[in-house]
Amino acid sequence: MNGPIVLGIETSCDETGVAVLEGMEVRSSVLASQVDIHARYGGVVPEVAARAHVEAIRPLVHQALTQAGVHPDELDAVSVTQGPGLVGALMVGYSFAKSFAYALGKPLYGIDHMEGHLFAPRLAFSGYEPPAVVVLASGGHSQIVHVKAWGEYDVLGGTIDDAAGEAFDKLARFMGLGYPGGPAIDSDSEGGDPTAVQFPRALRDRPFDFSFSGLKTSVVTYLEKAGAAGELPPRADVSASIQEAIVDVIVDKTFNAVKATGVDVVGGGGGVLANRRLRERLAQEAEWRGVGLFIPEPALCTDNGAMIASVAVDKMDQGMPSDPLTGDVMPGLSLG
Amino acid sequence: MNILAIETATPASSVAIGSDGDVLGSAVNVDRRGHVGFLIPAINFCFGQAGWDPADVDIVAVDIGPGPYTGLRAGIATAEAFAAAVGAPVVTVSSLTVIALRAATGRRRIWPVVDMRRGQFAVAPFRPLPGGVAPDGTPEVIKPHDFRALLEAEGSDSLVVGDWASMPESTWTGLHRVRKGRPRYPSAATLIEIATMKAARGETTDVADVRPLYMREPDVQINWKAFREEDAWPR
Ligand SMILES: [Zn+2]
Repeated sequence: MNGPIVLGIETSCDETGVAVLEGMEVRSSVLASQVDIHARYGGVVPEVAARAHVEAIRPLVHQALTQAGVHPDELDAVSVTQGPGLVGALMVGYSFAKSFAYALGKPLYGIDHMEGHLFAPRLAFSGYEPPAVVVLASGGHSQIVHVKAWGEYDVLGGTIDDAAGEAFDKLARFMGLGYPGGPAIDSDSEGGDPTAVQFPRALRDRPFDFSFSGLKTSVVTYLEKAGAAGELPPRADVSASIQEAIVDVIVDKTFNAVKATGVDVVGGGGGVLANRRLRERLAQEAEWRGVGLFIPEPALCTDNGAMIASVAVDKMDQGMPSDPLTGDVMPGLSLG
Repeated sequence: MNILAIETATPASSVAIGSDGDVLGSAVNVDRRGHVGFLIPAINFCFGQAGWDPADVDIVAVDIGPGPYTGLRAGIATAEAFAAAVGAPVVTVSSLTVIALRAATGRRRIWPVVDMRRGQFAVAPFRPLPGGVAPDGTPEVIKPHDFRALLEAEGSDSLVVGDWASMPESTWTGLHRVRKGRPRYPSAATLIEIATMKAARGETTDVADVRPLYMREPDVQINWKAFREEDAWPR
């Protein structure tokens, strides 16, 4: 396969991800996950994340290049997440990438992390093309995006309080299930009855927006009442019901957007898209409505370096300029 | 032997290049949020002055702290990436040493100070030597009134350098044997001088062994107030 050879570096949150792409083919993709570190604190601690990135980045770049069988001189470009994200974490990756590119005499492309998520399904599927509706949900972001063309995005809606992954984390914590909450609730739900408890689905009147604060309050109130009355249902039933409420909202809003835009391509990205029940429900709904669903394997849904490099490959194909030497991180970057 | 020096341990970022101990180019910028945007253009500027390419660099020297972490890490990541790209070894130096070396005194004990923010300062004693300084105690991160107590307990005259102006004025009242002086911030040009000596003694580090000198555990605050710690279900 032909195409530029691009190094991709991602350090916006709690995963250090580095990949080497040749065109849209992934030659290597490696990750240093901080999940175990942050599990001790029950969530991502920015200073802890930045410390872990600075430890991991150089060895990971070395590993990604070695696995790909690519010498640094053979790279056509270096790409890196410029934002949005935790400023201290972004600065580690961006500083490293910028210096690496400069010292090698290669162009640097600063990439929008969210655009990376939008692009990730391209690495797994050939039919994933705009116009499309893409749902992005993770611990740090929840958005529904209308991809009109590559580079042309309309953010239709998003969360007005917690991100979906954050809601999972907080509820799992409350249930005593540990961190990260999504996978914990996912596995605890096994065999549970998702209709056991009817938790609220908020914001019925705002077709593309999410809110999870009502769900949290409702779960807390429900458990306190049921506990006091000695009528706690099996925990798996409560987990399955919480998961169903979150999944319902995401599926609903996604297909509201599909209806409103008339697209027949649906994509997904972000760690929450690794949730088995969500993937199952999106697949059912897509099949029923006859639209194509493009949600890659979980490793491409969660943060990774390959998705960052894929955006750079596209920018290079389109002849877009690389970053100036004075470039800096943009923690508040937003799509569209 | 060509050295590139990168210094981001304080609000001042600086870079310098030097050959056999001579500084051939340098650039400084004081902006505590400006490290990332400044470093590479400054390096490029210095290379332009000397007619160097990145591949001309034999050694990368970097200040590993102590200092406020965010800027410090930008410098360290920049140095690591550069060294990895051109295959150069690294010389690491402490910010306190870089400041102490520029303190002009013949006999006073030197106390460089780096503002770590949140009311804390990194300090360490050095003693002057002909043509240099030597560490004369252990670095620590302390509050100004504890630093004052340290200075009061000193049996000798001392010279405080670095960012002492960020300490409250009351730190100094009545300390008759203490003088305050310059420099306020470490500089990459001084780093060249130290790195030249260290490299001559073979004190280089593999890039894999470069670590920031934090001297303080990360702040961890978790806002879980609204949530119970215990499990609703009996275990
Ligand atoms: Zn993400």
